[in-house]
Amino acid sequence: MTTPLETHGLTRENLLAIDYFLRLTRTLEERLVALFRQAKVIGGLYRSLGQEGESVAAAYALDYKQGDVVQPLIRNMGSILVAGAKPSDIIKQYMAKGDSPTRGRELNIHFGHPDRDGFIGQISMLGDMIPVMAGITLAGRMQKRNLVGMAFIGDGASSTGAFYEGMNFATVQRLPLVVILENNGYAYSTPTAKQSAVKTLADKAHAFGCASEVVDGNDVLATYAAAKRAVDRARAGEGVTLIEVKTFRIKGHAEHDNQSYVPIQLIEEWSAKDPVVQFEKALVDAGLAATPDFDAIQARVRSEVDTATDEAERSPMPRAEEAALGLFAGDGYWGEG
Amino acid sequence: MPIDVVMPQMGESIAEGTVVKWLKKPGDKVERDEPLLEISTDKVDAEIPAPASGTLTEIIAQEGQTVGVNTVVARIAGEGEAAGASAPAQPAAAPAQPAPPATAPAPASAPSATAPPASAPPAQAQAPAPPPKPAAPAPQAPPAPKPAEQPSNATTPQPSEENITSLDERRRTKSSPLVRKIAQENNVDISRLQGSGVSGRVTKNDILDYLQQPEAAAAPSPALASGNEGGHPAPAESAVAAPRPPAMTFAPGEGDRIEPLSMMRKKIAQHMVLSKQTSAHVTTVFEVDFTNIDKLRRRHKDAYAERGAKLTFLPFVIQAVVQGLREFPVINASMDESSVTYHRDLNIGIAVALEWGLIVPVVKNADEKNILGLSKSINDLGERARTKKLSPDDVQGGTFTITNPGIYGGLFGTPIINQPQVAILGVGGVKKRPVVVETKEGDVIAIRSMCILALTFDHRLIDGAVADQFMARIRSLIEAGQFTL
Amino acid sequence: MPVTTYLDAIREAMIEEMRRDPRVFLIGEDVGSYGGAFKTSAGMIDEFGPGRVIDTPISEVAIVGAASGAALMGMRPIAEMQFIDFITCAYDMLVNFTATSRYRVGSSCPIVVRGPAGGGTHGGPFHSLNPEAMFMNRPGIKIVAPGTAYDAKGLLKAAIRDDDPVLFIEHKFLYRRIKEDLPTEDYVVPIGKANIRRTGKDITIITWGAMIYVADDAAADLANDGVSAEVIDLRSIIPFDEEAILNSVAKTNRVIILHEAPLTGGAGAEFAARIAEKAFDYLDAPIKRVAALDVPTPYSPPLEAAALPDKARVLAAARELLRY
Repeated sequence: MTTPLETHGLTRENLLAIDYFLRLTRTLEERLVALFRQAKVIGGLYRSLGQEGESVAAAYALDYKQGDVVQPLIRNMGSILVAGAKPSDIIKQYMAKGDSPTRGRELNIHFGHPDRDGFIGQISMLGDMIPVMAGITLAGRMQKRNLVGMAFIGDGASSTGAFYEGMNFATVQRLPLVVILENNGYAYSTPTAKQSAVKTLADKAHAFGCASEVVDGNDVLATYAAAKRAVDRARAGEGVTLIEVKTFRIKGHAEHDNQSYVPIQLIEEWSAKDPVVQFEKALVDAGLAATPDFDAIQARVRSEVDTATDEAERSPMPRAEEAALGLFAGDGYWGEG
Repeated sequence: MPIDVVMPQMGESIAEGTVVKWLKKPGDKVERDEPLLEISTDKVDAEIPAPASGTLTEIIAQEGQTVGVNTVVARIAGEGEAAGASAPAQPAAAPAQPAPPATAPAPASAPSATAPPASAPPAQAQAPAPPPKPAAPAPQAPPAPKPAEQPSNATTPQPSEENITSLDERRRTKSSPLVRKIAQENNVDISRLQGSGVSGRVTKNDILDYLQQPEAAAAPSPALASGNEGGHPAPAESAVAAPRPPAMTFAPGEGDRIEPLSMMRKKIAQHMVLSKQTSAHVTTVFEVDFTNIDKLRRRHKDAYAERGAKLTFLPFVIQAVVQGLREFPVINASMDESSVTYHRDLNIGIAVALEWGLIVPVVKNADEKNILGLSKSINDLGERARTKKLSPDDVQGGTFTITNPGIYGGLFGTPIINQPQVAILGVGGVKKRPVVVETKEGDVIAIRSMCILALTFDHRLIDGAVADQFMARIRSLIEAGQFTL
Repeated sequence: MPVTTYLDAIREAMIEEMRRDPRVFLIGEDVGSYGGAFKTSAGMIDEFGPGRVIDTPISEVAIVGAASGAALMGMRPIAEMQFIDFITCAYDMLVNFTATSRYRVGSSCPIVVRGPAGGGTHGGPFHSLNPEAMFMNRPGIKIVAPGTAYDAKGLLKAAIRDDDPVLFIEHKFLYRRIKEDLPTEDYVVPIGKANIRRTGKDITIITWGAMIYVADDAAADLANDGVSAEVIDLRSIIPFDEEAILNSVAKTNRVIILHEAPLTGGAGAEFAARIAEKAFDYLDAPIKRVAALDVPTPYSPPLEAAALPDKARVLAAARELLRY
């Protein structure tokens, strides 16, 4: 007895691919937590537990062969895995290794070149990436490439001036930009009610004049569909869409945060709506997949994460002599001519 | 190779963690990532997974123990290693060790070997004998705030009384980095030069001018040593870079006493040699009858004493010399490789022997003074020389020098020229001797006060004939005794 | 050779580069149909179209951010700040994202941020900024400040062609007052090289921007007193021509650093420290800086004149050094 499932044009192969990315995100992050607790990851660690669904689903709506670019925040590792980021690169970044994509200069998932990689790492000044993504899509239009940009932003970051300036500029310029506003209820310890008097953050679209939508971020397929609609609109020249995805972070702000400020029942309520569990159940109910599929995916994911870990652990730390290099072009540090 | 399990850093500012509970015991097999122990930190509690698969061989940090981040808390023997091969259990690291352990702070009691004195000492002058202070150094007042000045710029260091002197002295003796560099390269003592900059600072132009024309800015050092009075004068100017002859060496014998040379002595050594290397020294000697001026001296010395002047032979000699220099200006000159400078002024240096050395104060414009004036000047300069009250102006600008090697009874001397002058007159002892006097009636023997004058002159510029004519003129002036007192 | 104003030289540089390289575009407030608040981009939208001469909302963060994003994708944006004072609104974007792009993640981000700086036009506190010191200590951004029409054109071309971000500080007081014969052929002034405007042997004046003319006047007065002053127009603040500075100090042994920005923490402090560190033995007098008072630039002419450095202050400083 199967329950019919609207897959929005996704094939079984696509759906299993999404499941692969969901499990890869979760397993890789679990490995990173273990490494963190073994003092091998340096600095902070920020999990996306509970938010893997919207990260993967939204990013899956882009067409990287067309040059589309995704910009994650710290809780969107799944999105850059979809874009093609390598788990070993991510682990090397977290372990501050000398052969990480940023050669030890930047941390966690702050890496990626929009043109070469299809994704670009953020900077810590939240909101700044919206104008930058606007510029990336502007360049795509000038270069007559039909590329779409997708920027993630948090409920807290949507309070920044850079967010407003970037959204306003992108909308009035009618740029092909999809903005995923992840409302997970908290910005570190600040609940959204203290962040903004606006009840539905998607309504901020009215300030810019762009389209908007609200979607259940823990419903993988619904999120994918909303993102796909927005991507198609952007590619058709219809401009910016602000999509508010409602979701929740199960593990607090970071590994060093015990989120004592979050009511326990909220955590329990959202834990019962785990996006991966819900997604797999929907596939099984629809007869599109079964446990052996997921086991096989998990085994593959586990093996990839192990291999990536081994590679990263073997990598050297950066050399101190390199600290002064690579500020400007000319010393060839980054391999430029 | 055993694998360490370490206390992780659960957050940027976390420095330590406490072992709450071990989930495995030594000898247990563990899988990679399997929870191994529970810890507690300031921010968060966590389960710590095993870093590798293998056997837990030893627990180093016990339950309840707090250790610093990165401290080894347990060891795992990797798969394939003998489970029993473990190092003897080490005591856990000291509790609450800050990580990384800082180097121990220096004990508070250990005094710094180079602790500066509590108050800034006044600047040390470079010459061993303190140079005479310049007259009335301008006090270092802070600049008055002007309307156009920076509001935040009004703070200049407020000098204390002590600092006023030391800032001026610092400027005079240490000048600027550039001038120090030039001085060091050319072996010049800055403190012996006269400067045209603030506080009498020697500027770049001053020292460069000096090096080209040593007399222009130089003040001959007042502190030229010679242990004995009446030693040969020739306080040559401070060393212009002259070629140095190779030093002679000798081995000290048994019982010899070795003393380091004082700065003063070193300078004299340099200057004496320098003068000899610069000028072509020739000495011409004249015997002069001082009887007539001796009579004048005896007749007037009491009256002079009442007027505060001790009357000696010297003023008469100076007047004669001054007249002679007027007539033979080439002897009142200086020279370099390509030109001769005839000095307009007649500034006669008078060598004064001191306990600690020799000094040559200068009677400026000696041609403008009469005997009384000269007498007073000589007395004054001599007195101030002995009491160290000469100013740099007193000892510079001389164009000709007179010295007195006869003071201890010697016949005459062969003095060394006082650079950059070209001649120096040594006055020997005045002695009564029988001499032949030619009269109309024939030759007779008379007792006369005789003095031998020796002129050392620089034969580069002055030929013997000129020198002798000059000396003959002086002799005739002195012997004629036509001096107005 | 046509006579060209400083402002026209800037426009010519932009036009010539936009003709030469289709990746170059201009983005800013009122730059398109209005031709720019100072008419610096007059006529450009007619030649290049609104796709390459882009009018923006009042959003310096978006201007600099979008320019940076476009630069990552291979474009060569010129981001205009209507007054360079407004770059402070985008300080975060410029120093945290743009300037660090290569060092952090190896991504070339070749934007030019340009805008009119400087006082002397009674623009008041928010239209008179000299911003170089604010960015000097944030590694990753080059800073240039031309004082002549020749240098304005040549340095802007160099900035546009540079693979790294450049802050191009143009001086509004010079816009229409400076007229020079410029070469018609393409030329570039290299970033990082000073220009010795006047050789001398008694005292060095290191300066840039509109102050080069103050230095010129002071040097002329000093010449009447028989003092030979050397005037160095740095032109580039980051990187700066350390060799030219040290060589001059070694020659003259006295140095004044003259800049229009306020004294404390100004760029002159860096040059003074560098001279003290590397040319100590060549100094025959203390190093002096002549700069604006440590105040926001006031509006009323007597106040503004009192706040900004002028020839009299330079001469006073020079005479003090010569007397030392």
